[in-house]
Amino acid sequence: MLTAERGPRALWRRRRGVVYMALALLMFPFVISLLVDGQGIASVWNNDLGNARFLQGLAIEVFILGLFAISYDLLLGVAGIISFGHAMFFAVGAYGFGIMLKSFELHWVIALLLVGVLAVLQALLFAILLPRVKGLTFALVTLGIAAVFWIVISSSDLAQWAGAEIGLQGVETPVWFLDTTNHRFVFYLLVAAIMLGVYVLYTKIADSPMGRVLVSVRENEDRSLMLGYNTFWFKTAALIVSSLTAALAGVLHTMHQPIVTPNVAGLTFAITVLLMVLIGGAGTISGALVGAAVYRLLNFYLDKWFGGASGLLVGLVFVLLVLYLPYGIVGTWRVKKAGIKEGRARLRRMFERALSRS
Amino acid sequence: MGAILETRGLRREFGALVAVDDVDLSIEEATLHSIIGPNGAGKTTLFNLISGTLAPTRGKVFYKGEDITGHPIHQTIHKGIGRSFQITNIFPNLTVLENVRLAVQATGKDSFRMLAPHLRFSDYLDRATEVLARVGLADRALQIAGTLPHGDQRKLELGMILAPDPDVLMLDEPTAGMAAEQVPQLMELIQEIQAAGGRTVVLVEHNMSVVMTVSDRITVMHQGGVLAEGTPAEISADRQVQTAYLGALYGDVVRGGGR
Repeated sequence: MLTAERGPRALWRRRRGVVYMALALLMFPFVISLLVDGQGIASVWNNDLGNARFLQGLAIEVFILGLFAISYDLLLGVAGIISFGHAMFFAVGAYGFGIMLKSFELHWVIALLLVGVLAVLQALLFAILLPRVKGLTFALVTLGIAAVFWIVISSSDLAQWAGAEIGLQGVETPVWFLDTTNHRFVFYLLVAAIMLGVYVLYTKIADSPMGRVLVSVRENEDRSLMLGYNTFWFKTAALIVSSLTAALAGVLHTMHQPIVTPNVAGLTFAITVLLMVLIGGAGTISGALVGAAVYRLLNFYLDKWFGGASGLLVGLVFVLLVLYLPYGIVGTWRVKKAGIKEGRARLRRMFERALSRS
Repeated sequence: MGAILETRGLRREFGALVAVDDVDLSIEEATLHSIIGPNGAGKTTLFNLISGTLAPTRGKVFYKGEDITGHPIHQTIHKGIGRSFQITNIFPNLTVLENVRLAVQATGKDSFRMLAPHLRFSDYLDRATEVLARVGLADRALQIAGTLPHGDQRKLELGMILAPDPDVLMLDEPTAGMAAEQVPQLMELIQEIQAAGGRTVVLVEHNMSVVMTVSDRITVMHQGGVLAEGTPAEISADRQVQTAYLGALYGDVVRGGGR
């Protein structure tokens, strides 16, 4: 009846989307350079100023947001855990890496490993809350922890490390392939590769025995317990994977941006990640990437065209998207005959279940 | 044969209410043992105490001679005690097969594998398919569980309990909410399952004719305590049971059912 398909043909069928995407992303800067800038292919290598370089920068932002969103989809979409403190997972990576490089002058590999340790620790901090506060209370407590973190990193007492309200700046690029200024194309390829790699990893996790247990937790945690799963450890594992991914996104953010502001730890950013996942379709994994792209590009172009009014427009578009595409973009694509009513009911059930866990 | 499941002085209080009042129960191995009693007699609470959903106020639970008092439910199931609930408890948005496959997977050691596709573990799939055939749902395998008719959902639940091949099945009103004509079929299935594997079935059931025909032994509970215990013939002959049970039953209708 059902079997796992093996062999090169099945692998190709499963992964051709990723291959096409990789090729498209590889060609993208060259296409822009040739068609929009009217420059040769060499200009991409030479890091010449122009649309190609600029759009690579924007794409890198999308990839980083995509990584962040995908890490949230594992919690919300797969395991049904609602956290409002997810921005902290990102900010710990961003600030941690930057401060370790700038103030402590650590080697970047060491700094990366230490960020990994921090990411695991914060995941464990959230995990110990799980059996104690559930559902809505868990969401609010995570919000509280993240708020404390925001206060700490934006406080003037820590200004010499974190830069207070202005943010962390002057982090020097430790190695050439993390240099978004002078080696943009290389950095672009690196971040794209990381995003696609993480995407493949997450689809594997979602389809694995552990992923199925997480889905069972989302669907009916009591039942899952009664089948004999100690659901605590599965949720902890999901938190650790998610936290590591979000922290990695934060590290890349610090490399890409001249300033890391406290906003990356703020509530707005936590809502942003929720929005990106909902726009793409919760639980679809690929939807997180689509949601990140839609979010960032919409934000960028509406701001460019409408300036001050863009915030309102962006919000309006998102409200409409969630209302009329309740399965999200990828979710609607998958369900095909998705009814708006069923979709809304599903969305409501998802939040109700996640928020009312006993 | 000895007792596979025993309780000694098992007691649970909810505030001033004594839901289970110093119950000594002894379930013989490979029997079908029914627990009956009016609503509010403490049957389900007793089930919860044994299966680990609730911690007792005092008293002990022994399984195969081992003290399992207060062990959480995800541990008791691994020891071989499967338990169903009055209200159907499945994964309604997953397929019928996946419901059972998850139950089978829980018995193995692969649940923390996160990089291999779950369908590659064909042992689990095979066992799940086998169990579905056992409970008569083989042709429904790929249907979404929530779309099954109620009777089939009860069968699915039975399958999920059966999946890890437990020694003891604790079934809390397995026929609740089923159409009358489906009841004998399900009871037959339960009897078959009990007899085939030499399993022990502990049954809470309201349908008296069902209980009298299928049970090896019956325990009658009343107001948290054990009123009588014996074979179906002994129980139906027991005057005290008749008056107390029927009296309480009528009183109960006025009060409304509890759990």
